[in-house]
Amino acid sequence: MKRLLSLAVTALTLCLCSLAHAVTVEDSKGRFSLDYTPKRIVVLEFSFADALAAVGVSPIGIADDKDPQRVLKQVRDIIGDFQSVGTRSQPSLEVIASLKPDLIIADIGRHEGVYDDLKKIAPTLILPSRRETYEDNLKAAATIGKVIGKDQEMQARLAKHKTLMQGYAKQLPNNAEVQFTVARKDDLFIHTADSYAGGVIHALGLKNPELNRSDKQASRQIGLEQLLAIDPDYLVVGEYVTPNIINKWQNEPLWSVLQVARNHRVYRVDGNVWARCRGIMAAESMAEDLVKVFN
Amino acid sequence: MKTLSLSALLLCVMCVLVMMNLSFGAVSLTFNDLLSGFQPTSEFYFTIHEYRLPRTLLAMLVGGMMALSGTLVQGVIRNPLASPDVLGVSHGAGLAAVLLMTLYPDVSVYWLPWTALCGGLLAALVLWLLCGSHSSAIKLAITGIALATLYGSLVDFLMLTRPLEINNALLWLTGSLWGRGWDQVTMILPWLILVPVAFWLAKRINLVQLGDDVATSLGVSIPVTRLAVLAIAVGMTAACVSICGPIGFLGLVAPHLARRLVGGRHQILLPCAILVGMTLLLLADLVARTIDPPIELPAGIMTAILGAPYFLWLLFRTK
Repeated sequence: MKRLLSLAVTALTLCLCSLAHAVTVEDSKGRFSLDYTPKRIVVLEFSFADALAAVGVSPIGIADDKDPQRVLKQVRDIIGDFQSVGTRSQPSLEVIASLKPDLIIADIGRHEGVYDDLKKIAPTLILPSRRETYEDNLKAAATIGKVIGKDQEMQARLAKHKTLMQGYAKQLPNNAEVQFTVARKDDLFIHTADSYAGGVIHALGLKNPELNRSDKQASRQIGLEQLLAIDPDYLVVGEYVTPNIINKWQNEPLWSVLQVARNHRVYRVDGNVWARCRGIMAAESMAEDLVKVFN
Repeated sequence: MKTLSLSALLLCVMCVLVMMNLSFGAVSLTFNDLLSGFQPTSEFYFTIHEYRLPRTLLAMLVGGMMALSGTLVQGVIRNPLASPDVLGVSHGAGLAAVLLMTLYPDVSVYWLPWTALCGGLLAALVLWLLCGSHSSAIKLAITGIALATLYGSLVDFLMLTRPLEINNALLWLTGSLWGRGWDQVTMILPWLILVPVAFWLAKRINLVQLGDDVATSLGVSIPVTRLAVLAIAVGMTAACVSICGPIGFLGLVAPHLARRLVGGRHQILLPCAILVGMTLLLLADLVARTIDPPIELPAGIMTAILGAPYFLWLLFRTK
């Protein structure tokens, strides 16, 4: 009888354990396990904040470069107030520690050097964010969904995202050649097919211009003559500042030779949304921008 | 007596700065919180023991060693504008680091310090092979500056052709103590063995100051002394740069300040320069962390803001 009882207790405990949230996923450093549902999450890149907001979870701290406006507006509307933990490149570890997080989501590109320190503060999920592709980003979001115990919600949100993007794609011309660029004050950077924006453009049934190149770089600085060599059908300019390099180039004779200049197909968008944010909602926001451009 | 009281004063200033570095930051702590932070059970254990303490120690180690190597280089090159930068060590380390970051962007950042260390030592080796141990101090300095410029331009070239990696590289190139912890402290500790060797050479450096002829007639072998002193400076600079990045002007300004305080006798000058270097870097990092929290500025920017005007003033005065 006693043995039977203890057996029952063990079985019950096991049952309860499996009911409690316990999850193991693969992150950029190998296996990551968490046996509770995190409540106080600090994220060190915008794309992670986007993923949390996509399933209605609010991080308590974001590395927002001390400028909350850099977090996508749709994301801010969902998550409400949060505390800044400094810049994305050098987040303040003591502020992170003072928030007493129970999960930190870090970027392998920026934060690998402090991964060990972050782990001393709280369990740290490290995923790609900087230089990630569109597919990487959706994969990272799915991983985050599992870790925060919102797997089903995240899968549903990702499915909805796919439908939404297909809907946007229908409103866009097939295979139109779109080049996304980031304009700074004196420099222009093109984002290639390997970049995040390039991935979104591709996902929307549009085309990234063929570049004569051997590497897989996501972005590179170009001059006006190089832009003419690419000569895309549509030019989407993400502006970090105004006035910028495009305003200068518009006064040059070479500019008027460009297809986009002759056909008035230069479109200005928010460089922050297009190049910095990255994420489910950011991609949808980018798609909306493009729909506006083409209609 | 004057030097003794000055040293005591410097020591006091440094102790105050250590306390300030431990208590202030994005989150300010009271003295009691600070003390409790050394117990693993305290809620401030991470902030104090894992974060601010190693960082403060590192600022002291790096500041002291950079200042010491600067004093050594100025001593044997016999030029007040000389600094470890003249030997091309920090630029060589910078080039190696940027090469690693641009050519192998996916490689783990744990390799960065070792690559930079090799680059720095290699740069010194190249200089030595070009100049040999018998060439004059001025030839050594000019060749070193030319090489440093070459490395610097290569770094610029790499960063212009590979713009995507700029951010990471720039961050390291400005010199920062952010994210450095106990691992880095233990990496730099073995190099401390060079400090007593430098002290032991202090008397000979005094003689080198008198000029090659006088020093030789007093029984000091100029080539050997110079090689030994420069090797020590190179080793310490490369070690510091590999961990924190090139922290500008520290190796130039600290020796000058020390010399103004206690004069040119190296037995006293060397320890005093170490104290000054520690104080300067502690101050720079404190300001960098607390000026606009939670944003962390690289300490290298602070030392440059501090050092560049001083350097200009020095240039005008020596004219």
